[in-house]
Amino acid sequence: MIRKREVAKRIFAYELVRSTHQIEDSGLKYVLTPTGERANRIFSVAVLLDKEEIGADTNLWRLRLADPTGSFYAYVGKYQPDAIEIVADIDVPELIAVVGKIRVFEGISRKLVSVRPENIAVVDIPVRDFWVIETAKKTLERIKAMEKDRGEDAKLAKQIYNPDLNEYKEIVRKALETVKEDFKIVKEIEKVEVEEEEKFEFAGFEFEEEDFDLSDLFEEE
Amino acid sequence: MSRAEKLTDQIMERLKSLNVRVKREEVLKRMKLLIDEFKVPESEAVRTIMNYLAREYGISREELFVREAPLVKIADITKPNQWISLKAKVVQLWDSTSPNVSQVGLIGDETGIIKFVIWAKAGMPEVEEGKSYLFRNVVTDSFQGRLQVNVTRTSNITEINEDIQLPPREIEVVGALVAFQQNSGLIKRCEHCNRVLTKGVCPIHGKVKGYDDLRIKGVLDDGENIYEIILNEENIKDLTGIGLKDAIKIAQENLDKSAVLNELKSKLLGRYLRVKGIKGSRYLLVREVEFFKPKVEDLEKLLEVLT
Repeated sequence: MIRKREVAKRIFAYELVRSTHQIEDSGLKYVLTPTGERANRIFSVAVLLDKEEIGADTNLWRLRLADPTGSFYAYVGKYQPDAIEIVADIDVPELIAVVGKIRVFEGISRKLVSVRPENIAVVDIPVRDFWVIETAKKTLERIKAMEKDRGEDAKLAKQIYNPDLNEYKEIVRKALETVKEDFKIVKEIEKVEVEEEEKFEFAGFEFEEEDFDLSDLFEEE
Repeated sequence: MSRAEKLTDQIMERLKSLNVRVKREEVLKRMKLLIDEFKVPESEAVRTIMNYLAREYGISREELFVREAPLVKIADITKPNQWISLKAKVVQLWDSTSPNVSQVGLIGDETGIIKFVIWAKAGMPEVEEGKSYLFRNVVTDSFQGRLQVNVTRTSNITEINEDIQLPPREIEVVGALVAFQQNSGLIKRCEHCNRVLTKGVCPIHGKVKGYDDLRIKGVLDDGENIYEIILNEENIKDLTGIGLKDAIKIAQENLDKSAVLNELKSKLLGRYLRVKGIKGSRYLLVREVEFFKPKVEDLEKLLEVLT
């Protein structure tokens, strides 16, 4: 029987990098996050700060990504052909959307969570803004569930991490505030663009053939 | 009517449906003996008599012991190999390619829609699209990862005079387009059956010339659920400005069909889409689609909660 595709969860970098606990359920590995999200795959919109090939010609890239709450690492190798093709062409820094599997790795001194991107795409600001809103909403829902001791994963996460929920609320609030600011900017830009378009159309209407002096173009011959 | 008589009649009914002739008195005598005299539990009494009849009249035990499967709703179907009964309407019939299959298509009730297969061996009368039926003793099954119900020899289909309401089939979803599936982009279809060709070969009609089409099979993910969506040429043009003609041009200029796919990916992957469309058993056929734009009010509402 073919498994149903795993849903891509929305988790802020701040919470993601603090996730250390892995659960295995019917052959699949999930990362349990501090507020009780169970994720096998995530969807994130973040800035690609840095890309670095690990060793020469290994075609394995380490990516450093940041959302408004913090940064995390992603590794792309030859088994993610779609993602690697895009990575090769990107000039950093660039805003990207990432879909990928997440795993916890045991480092020497601590556990490290990282992402294996399946798909990467360059996106624009409004995509990031909505991602932040959506992720804020999902995070607040999880916090609420934990406050009310609702759900197995919330209980387990509380037992393992015992997170300071006010700290997480503060992170969410800050993320929303940053986005709120460029909401205003985006709106301004759109307004200017619309005005320019209108002006341009108007100007276009008045063009007449005589206005074009093309003699410059022929002089060189 | 005594309990023994009632049970006897139930057994007689069953025997009648199997075309076996047994004298009622014979069954009743045994039933009375077991129930009234020996005070055997009812279920045991029935079982004993059934066993006796199976031996005596050479009926296959399998047929005799078919129990009435519980009546459930389609939304309750969650695993394969469950015997169930359904009251459902035939939503759609498909052309079957296999001689083993009598009919195949979709049935639905007010909770959902599911694929069904009537096997040729079942020897059932044919069902019609738009009519409602009671499907008794059908079995759930999983085929290529999807649940379906099979109508077999032991099943029973009777038309019912009831118009079963189907769930609202048009749904609206806002989610991120997280993946493209195979056979997306510029594809070729068979001119006879519109199926997608693989390397110029139609699964039914073999090697054909085919015609070009543009479509995307993708995965929309809202963080709670995934929806497999199909965007047609019109949808793609609405979103990206690339129509079939433009796509063909891109492919020719690059001498490569995958250039179209890459172009579409760069314009659509990772973006939030709002889609409206009809949900089939697997795919959401998109009717309307647009890029989803966030609203500052959504953000302010969340901030209010926090302060």
